[in-house]
Amino acid sequence: MIAVAAGPNRIDPYVIPALDGVAYGLLVFVAAAGLVFCFGVANILNLAHGMLYAIGGYTAAALLDGGWASLALALGVGVLAAAAAGVLLAGLLTPVATGNHLTQALLTFGVALAGGSLLVAGFGPDDPQVLVPAALDGSVAVAGHRYAAYRLVFIVVAAALAAGLYLTVRRTRAGMLVRAAVDDPEMVACLGVSPTRIRVGVLAAGGALAGAAGVLGAPIIGPGADTADTVLLLSLVVVVLGGLGSMGGTLLAALAIGEIQTLGVALLPSAAPFLLFAAMAAVLAVRARGLAPRWAAA
Amino acid sequence: MSLTTPARSRALTAALLALVLTASTACADDEPGTTGGGSIKIGLLASLSGTYQSVGKEIRDGFELYLDTHDGKLGGRQVDLVVADEGNGAATAVPAATKLLKQDRVAALTGIVGGGSVAGVYPLLQETKVPLVGSNGRPEIKDVSRVWHTSYLSDEPGAAIAQHVKDNVKGSVYAIGPDYQGGWDELRGFTEAFAKAGGTLANPDGKTTFTPFPATTNFTPYFARIKASGAQAVYTFYAGSAAVDFVKQYAQSEIKDIPLYAAGFLTEGGVLNAQGEAARDIFSVLNYSPDLDNAENRGFVAAWKAKHDGSPTTYALASYDAAAVLDRAIGAAGDDPTPEAINAQIGKLGQIASPRGAWQFSTVTHSPVQKWYLRQVRQDGRALSNTVVGDLATIGR
Repeated sequence: MIAVAAGPNRIDPYVIPALDGVAYGLLVFVAAAGLVFCFGVANILNLAHGMLYAIGGYTAAALLDGGWASLALALGVGVLAAAAAGVLLAGLLTPVATGNHLTQALLTFGVALAGGSLLVAGFGPDDPQVLVPAALDGSVAVAGHRYAAYRLVFIVVAAALAAGLYLTVRRTRAGMLVRAAVDDPEMVACLGVSPTRIRVGVLAAGGALAGAAGVLGAPIIGPGADTADTVLLLSLVVVVLGGLGSMGGTLLAALAIGEIQTLGVALLPSAAPFLLFAAMAAVLAVRARGLAPRWAAA
Repeated sequence: MSLTTPARSRALTAALLALVLTASTACADDEPGTTGGGSIKIGLLASLSGTYQSVGKEIRDGFELYLDTHDGKLGGRQVDLVVADEGNGAATAVPAATKLLKQDRVAALTGIVGGGSVAGVYPLLQETKVPLVGSNGRPEIKDVSRVWHTSYLSDEPGAAIAQHVKDNVKGSVYAIGPDYQGGWDELRGFTEAFAKAGGTLANPDGKTTFTPFPATTNFTPYFARIKASGAQAVYTFYAGSAAVDFVKQYAQSEIKDIPLYAAGFLTEGGVLNAQGEAARDIFSVLNYSPDLDNAENRGFVAAWKAKHDGSPTTYALASYDAAAVLDRAIGAAGDDPTPEAINAQIGKLGQIASPRGAWQFSTVTHSPVQKWYLRQVRQDGRALSNTVVGDLATIGR
């Protein structure tokens, strides 16, 4: 009798952290997918990726007023603004040879610093308030616990985004080009597809993804002076854990990060400061190419 | 064309030279030959850029508000306020302070947001023998003979509220805070006084839970542990972005109905706007609230609101009081207000009238002996505001 009661009780405190790990992981996935995509496909190391997320976040803070229409508007404006910033980055990167990662890193990092300062100057040093639609601004009962309604809905939306991204890469002509560009960029160029077009398209798509993550994730990783750095760091950890080539690997890595940051912290609070990087070191030591192979193979 | 360029540049040089000459003669008039009604240079060092810029700007504005409401004078002397940017910490604060102390040769230094910056600037104060009337961060300092603070010591908020929490919470209390010096001090102040009052912590090992700082943005796993601990209340200290994340996530978590007590910074100033509805009903302890009912405070809040949006914070108040301290000390220093004379007079001030209520410097720590207030986030007109709901202990040695 006691043993039966002890079973669920021992698991019970960890239900919410485990669920939250999925929400957090999916947010990290949507945020990082753009960076992995740019790196894996166009061979561009975009260190301004966190800034693109912050653009989405600040857009959400500025436009959301607690209604559904404002959420749709913020999503549209945020995606367009971040995609436009991505195109701007592509323009700045034009003189830089493909694969010259050091120059790319320096250039995009400079853009990130300048852009971050501009965002803080424009929106103020304080974290702005983010108003989610009133219907989602509460908590719901999950397995006898309270959990934030917005995060529950976010899990569904982010999962749909991930599925949409997967289908786009697997089933559409643009996706085929992207996969071809990963496998053999010279051959794609020979076939008459301009590398510039691919670069601009990929950075715009990466920006759009980061912008969408920034708007939808604003209530979870809110806009602020440190947001860009936080998101960039998490995205780079995803690259290390998940490798560059495959969406499956990226998703797996992002979910792992989510669970480490929530379930891991709940299980081992004293190890919280280094849990994430310990996991990263372990993956690097065991399997230097990440958890799964290339985009194309996913 | 080629002839006009040198001609023009020569004319420009002449004009510049004339300007420099007039400027330097103007300066010569201001030299401290005219005693009694002469001017005095005060240096204000605060974070006007970087992570703490919202606090830094409050500190600058608080000091300037005092000058604006007192004809730009301290102790009867026209003030030449030199403002420098402290940045994110000692690395930027020390060069800025060096300029204020050695180049501008200010008679007194005020401001400084970060405790680390104060520790960095401290040797310079010893070297130049200039007093610091700090208005925020206060690290552990051995010799406080030239260091004064109008703010508080980091362990005082927790110590002031511990007895109240013990008396009002039926059961154990969970203590949680950020893992850095400020967090350790704030939480230690609470847990020591709480244990002395006979309270028990709900934390499984009886020790405060510290969260990685500033890396922690998701507090859900900690909330799950608080729920599992059976705590009847939570005591915490966070500031800035972490305070926004903590409060917003708390309000939607499974422990949202557990009363939350905090050091006042959790809901002070700009973070309260970002938290919005999520902050409603939170109890906090602080040395100031804009709705305190005394004549000084009514005047202070009215003057503040005439210039700025929103209500003044404890940061602005501490800086306003630093100006008040300097006002009286410079006035008492007589005809020759040297840094040494000003420092000696600060030690003889006794009671200081202030919007927070009268306070005085502790002879041991050179920080205020002052009353602490219990506040709750409540509706005030259209906005949420920290409303005083009671007096707590008077703390200071």
